[in-house]
Amino acid sequence: MFEELSDATFDGRIAEVKAGVCIFYKQLCPHCKNMEKVLEKFSRLQPEVTLLSVDIEQNPVSAGVCGAERAPTIIVIRDGKVAGRKAGLMNPREMAQFFDSCR
Amino acid sequence: MREVITTDLVIIGGGPAGMTAALYAVRAKLKTVVLESNVTGGLVNSTYTVENFPSWPSIHGMELMEKMRAQIDELGVTVEEVCEVESLELDGQWKKVVTDSAEYRCKAVILATGRVPLELDTPTQAQEVHHCAICDGAAYAGRHVLVVGGGNSAFDESLYLLASGIEHITLVEAMPRYFAAESTQEQLFSSGRVDGFVSTKVVDLIVKDGVLTGALLENSESGRRWTVDVAGVFVFLGQKPNNSLFKDILPLTKQGYIKASELMETGIPGVFSAGDINDKAFRQITTAVADGTIAALSAERYIRSAF
Ligand SMILES: Cc1cc2nc3c(=O)[nH]c(=O)nc-3n(C[C@H](O)[C@H](O)[C@H](O)COP(=O)(O)OP(=O)(O)OC[C@H]3O[C@@H](n4cnc5c(N)ncnc54)[C@H](O)[C@@H]3O)c2cc1C
Repeated sequence: MFEELSDATFDGRIAEVKAGVCIFYKQLCPHCKNMEKVLEKFSRLQPEVTLLSVDIEQNPVSAGVCGAERAPTIIVIRDGKVAGRKAGLMNPREMAQFFDSCR
Repeated sequence: MREVITTDLVIIGGGPAGMTAALYAVRAKLKTVVLESNVTGGLVNSTYTVENFPSWPSIHGMELMEKMRAQIDELGVTVEEVCEVESLELDGQWKKVVTDSAEYRCKAVILATGRVPLELDTPTQAQEVHHCAICDGAAYAGRHVLVVGGGNSAFDESLYLLASGIEHITLVEAMPRYFAAESTQEQLFSSGRVDGFVSTKVVDLIVKDGVLTGALLENSESGRRWTVDVAGVFVFLGQKPNNSLFKDILPLTKQGYIKASELMETGIPGVFSAGDINDKAFRQITTAVADGTIAALSAERYIRSAF
């Protein structure tokens, strides 16, 4: 469900995405696992949204550029650009509101 | 319109108690659904290493819970994660559990909603903040840690930390006195390895390059602020039962726990409870799975006799 990105592929792939959400996560982070399930639920309601993921520890460059210091950090992508960023856990409703607020 | 789903058993909470209940229920041929507000695994997901679950000398908490989950998936339990239970009707012979996406009609319900730790409220967060000395203390042997809280659990756990080889403890309590038993206070302070401060709270944590290096403290009477260099923080502000869903429909203890019988009955026919949400002396994974076992077998016996 999530397309895994790396420092090498991040910029190029983001530029192609019309509407997307990317989760910056760390291994063994319970809130990240939780947030992935929230995003899966969110994407069932909004199937046109592309789901992407980046392992913060393996990809410090893209994590640094996106200000993903905490795990999880969620970024919203609109028309190939980062349109919003939020760290921490959200429920599906908060996620939908956050996505809508990033225009 | 919400989908209406008829099933034998609904388990609310997918921690070790709920998942074990599901395992026993489905093996007893009950059609079983687990509803979990977050992801399955409960508090164990946040425990770095579990070293007291029989058969695994040492295992990451999340890994242990993934194994438990795989086992119930294999057996055909339906698990709904990130699922918000909106209301419960437990009185009639058929129970009703309404979630954000479906309405379940079932013959029995097991409540396994567990507890949540009261968190340390600081602007900076750190991964070296823990809630359990037995679980995480050994990692800090030979080092200086901060203990937050001045009740029995903070003092008992501090004694355990010292026994685990912690070199020094700074203990802070926000109120003007400690609440732990006098004898435990004496025992701890007589070790000579503990500084205690009352009327003192943690203002913030100091994190450098992603690693905790200290904490900023403040005495609320004098206004003095100072920092302590610590490698870890143990927070014992207490835990609170996850009872919001049923606190108005079930009799609870003053602390908010379910007073379940030996058979995990709650007092409402067909409604059982298991794990940390129950009023009990020891809250561990092994005791949660034991409760889950009993709750499922009791639910099975109830369903066979009442339907
Ligand atoms: C930091 C820490 C370390 C620990 N280390 C150990 C250890 O090393 N060994 C050990 O044996 N024990 C340990 N414990 C204790 C152990 O984690 C608990 O005893 C055990 O998790 C209890 O299981 P449970 O299923 O009853 O509750 P929980 O694990 O709390 O699970 C309850 C589940 O119910 C869900 N839930 C709550 N409300 C709802 C709702 N309304 N709707 C749907 N779902 C809901 C929660 O999201 C959660 O997933 C530790 C506890 C802590 C806090």
